[in-house]
Amino acid sequence: MNWLNDNVNMLALLGAAAIILITVFVVAKYIKQMKEDKSTGELAEENWDGIGEYKNELPIGWSLAFLGTIVWGLWYFLIGYPLNGYSQIGEYNEEVQKYNTKFENKWANPDEETLMGMGEGVFFVQCAPCHGVTGDGINGKAADLTVWGSEAAIVDVILKGSKGLNYPLGEMPAGLLQGDDAKAVAAYMVEKIAKLGKSKNPDLVAKGESLWAVCAGCHGQNGDGMGGNSPSLKNYGKPEFVVDVLNRGKAGNIGVMPKFNDGRLSDIQKLAVGKYVNSLSQ
Amino acid sequence: MFHWLERNPFFFAVGVFIVIAYAGIVTILPDFMNSARPVVGTKPYTVLQLAGRHVYIKDSCNACHSQLIRPFKSETDRYGMYSLSGEYAYDRPFLWGSKRTGPDLMRVGNYRTTDWHENHMLNPAEIVPGSIMPKYPHMFKNVADIETAYAEALTVKKVFNVPYDKSGMPKLGTLEEAKAQALKEAEEIVANMKSPEVKEALKRGEIKEIVAIIAYLNSLK
Amino acid sequence: MQPSRMINYDYTVAKYFAIAAIILGIVGMLIGVFIAFQMAYPELNNLAGEYGTFGRLRPLHTDAVIFGFLLSGIWATWYYVGQRVLKVSMAESPFLMFLGKLHFWLYLVGVVAVVISLAMGITTSKEYAEFEWPIDIAIVIVWVIWGMSIFGLIGIRREKTLYISIWYYIATFLGVAMLYLFNNMAVPTYFASGGIGDWWHSVSMYAGTNDAMVQWWYGHNAVAFVFTVPIIAMIYYFLPKESGQPVFSYKLSILSFWGLMFVYLWAGGHHLLYSTVPDWVQTMGSIFSVVLILPSWGSAINMLLTMKGEWGQLKENPLIKFYILASTFYMFSTLEGPIQAIKSVNALAHFTDWIPGHVHDGTLGWVGFMIVGSLFHMAPRMFKREIYSKKLMESQFWIQTTGIVLYFSSMWIAGITQGMMWRATDQYGNLAYSFIDTVNVLHPYYVIRGLGGLLYLIGFMMFAYNFYKTMTASKAIEKEPQFASPMAA
Repeated sequence: MNWLNDNVNMLALLGAAAIILITVFVVAKYIKQMKEDKSTGELAEENWDGIGEYKNELPIGWSLAFLGTIVWGLWYFLIGYPLNGYSQIGEYNEEVQKYNTKFENKWANPDEETLMGMGEGVFFVQCAPCHGVTGDGINGKAADLTVWGSEAAIVDVILKGSKGLNYPLGEMPAGLLQGDDAKAVAAYMVEKIAKLGKSKNPDLVAKGESLWAVCAGCHGQNGDGMGGNSPSLKNYGKPEFVVDVLNRGKAGNIGVMPKFNDGRLSDIQKLAVGKYVNSLSQ
Repeated sequence: MFHWLERNPFFFAVGVFIVIAYAGIVTILPDFMNSARPVVGTKPYTVLQLAGRHVYIKDSCNACHSQLIRPFKSETDRYGMYSLSGEYAYDRPFLWGSKRTGPDLMRVGNYRTTDWHENHMLNPAEIVPGSIMPKYPHMFKNVADIETAYAEALTVKKVFNVPYDKSGMPKLGTLEEAKAQALKEAEEIVANMKSPEVKEALKRGEIKEIVAIIAYLNSLK
Repeated sequence: MQPSRMINYDYTVAKYFAIAAIILGIVGMLIGVFIAFQMAYPELNNLAGEYGTFGRLRPLHTDAVIFGFLLSGIWATWYYVGQRVLKVSMAESPFLMFLGKLHFWLYLVGVVAVVISLAMGITTSKEYAEFEWPIDIAIVIVWVIWGMSIFGLIGIRREKTLYISIWYYIATFLGVAMLYLFNNMAVPTYFASGGIGDWWHSVSMYAGTNDAMVQWWYGHNAVAFVFTVPIIAMIYYFLPKESGQPVFSYKLSILSFWGLMFVYLWAGGHHLLYSTVPDWVQTMGSIFSVVLILPSWGSAINMLLTMKGEWGQLKENPLIKFYILASTFYMFSTLEGPIQAIKSVNALAHFTDWIPGHVHDGTLGWVGFMIVGSLFHMAPRMFKREIYSKKLMESQFWIQTTGIVLYFSSMWIAGITQGMMWRATDQYGNLAYSFIDTVNVLHPYYVIRGLGGLLYLIGFMMFAYNFYKTMTASKAIEKEPQFASPMAA
């Protein structure tokens, strides 16, 4: 972390140091006078309840410092944050633009390693509070991402249903298929639709194909989601699917997972999260 | 000259008053009308949301949560678009807060939902491990004060011309109509909740505080 | 003209307020310590149902110390100092005596109403202006009575020139009156809607950004006119009086006074930096905050220079220690505030624990110490007995000082850490920490802060005991001392 590259951090620390140093220095100066100096001066004629008053001149350091702050004020007023020229929104736009340009230049074509690193960073901040640092879902609080994308996870979805993705065809009810039927469809999906490799139950693939009609009603014969009417299962277990969830949100046990389509994450960051989440189950 | 003032308490007091009064006039008045103008699309709160806002105030949520997103990238990345003056045009009082013991809530309606709030209010530390927010079980017991909320809405409509009952704006109507409307809005929220206590109360026509505050929080976008 | 010593000053009302200050001080600080520990151990929120949560107790803490402890303390000193520097006894005017007592009893009624309504959650949500309109009206009446008492006493004074402390008391009266009235403008909804809902409920006259501007114009300057101005009134009387040293410079007093009055009211904008109030208001807030350093420091330096050559007194007399450390903390927090008001520093500090840290530098170190020191000075003269224990006073001083140091150092670290973590990004430009990360990291600092507050409270209890013993059991004194307060070892 480059704590000190940020001028706000820098100025805050300098300010904190200045508060202590200036106060200690000035008070020490007066304590010294208490020890060594003598109080002198011409007394005013009044006396209130025994309290007198000297007609001493202003301390010179105080007067100069007073003038100094006024000069600083003028500088702030005319040059630092010119009253008719400064806008905090303008400053913000510059900050964001500068950042975006830099980001695009640096990460225009990110390699795999960069994406994983970036995804991990976002995950820790945005996802880990509910899904846990390891992605295990903290005892059922949120989806267990260490199994997501696997055959077992597909079975789980078939048994429990899926809610909150907000596709036109609506929500997937729980328990469309049970037991071995669910396993069979999962096997078929792994091998033929999502093409995630070999199924753990290769002998069930054929049975799964015969049962696929249950799914095809919404997801389409080839599982592509019928042109955006339901999630494309071809993407299941791949980063693109995670990106889709990030954009759409998802209903979970403790509440709905928020959408990240409000500009808080850029497309590259979403893809990076997708890659990272995908890697958790592999 | 000053010594003369110190012998004349009346003129002394007048002098002090002038010196302290002018700054307020110079800083507050010039942009007063400008700052009161709403951004297009900003609507006044419905009666149920207003009742929820009263719960928010009653339990001083604003002591720990801000509703002000400053224009820094680190804030807009975390909470969404920075705040605009006109978005607060119907906020009486303003609830910007001065301390973020918890996160900003200016746009919490964009990323938290009814069921999340329900679980979270019952036991924040279970939903967010390490959370130091208190539990609010009493919000599930206390009944929201719809009448006072209606009285406030009616007052701002009459006194400050807040555009209730205008086209595209929330309807206020009579107290009875407003109560029926609040009940309808409450039903939509309670449909997404699981507390049997809250559900049964609603059947009796009672809206619990938790329902009202969730309506308010969901409206923060 | 009679010499002041021969006037028989009547301290009845001063005694009432002194006792109220001590009791309300204990209450306010106790709640403060409790809510500080709630932030470290959140289970403490659930001890008393809805009435025991941080949200309900926080306004009770701030209002109990500001409007309970502070105002009582200010009024106790007013009913003491006012008579003495104006050379007139309240006993000379039955009317003023009546007003003084009315002032106290009405104030107590207000305090009870405030405690009940805040515990019930009846609040306008505006910080330090939480009270609903019926209580606001009561407060205005109390305030007007105080004003009548000030100007009544001034009207019959024998000392024609007003002493510096009186300037500051007048400014307190006028400043708070103006701020309080404008900030609490509200429409009672029960009457405006024709009898619907709670009768005490009201809605603010201002909306959104304007409401925020008026509130922080009030909020900031309430600090000015309750935490600063009347406390300066105290130090200008009690330090020279206790030490017997003439005030260092009239010129410095007068420039500081008018400078403070002129500059302070502008600075409210610094509570709203980077908010939606117009940019120019924010910039003016920053500028005037920084210019404010010197008028504030002027009074403190004037007091430190008054003690030139008096190191012996500082070593020997614990009361002088209280006053000098109070001046030091006054300088410390009036430098801290302006630095936090610089835009770039505020970008980090705002919304973090550095701000409560700053507030408590001023309130514990400056305000608390001055009120304790002032009441200690008054006690032997009000009760005609010497202070019960100097030793106890010495240990109180060191315990409370340790408490303050723990408090502010932990809050500085917590605030700056949290501010930096909110801003921190990783190498890819992502936010580096989730919000809860920035809460969890603060736990140890919250514990230390709680302990610091607890030490301060323990010191304050020692003060209460010492004061009570002085009142009831200490050795009587025959003749009022001119300067240093008599105290038993």
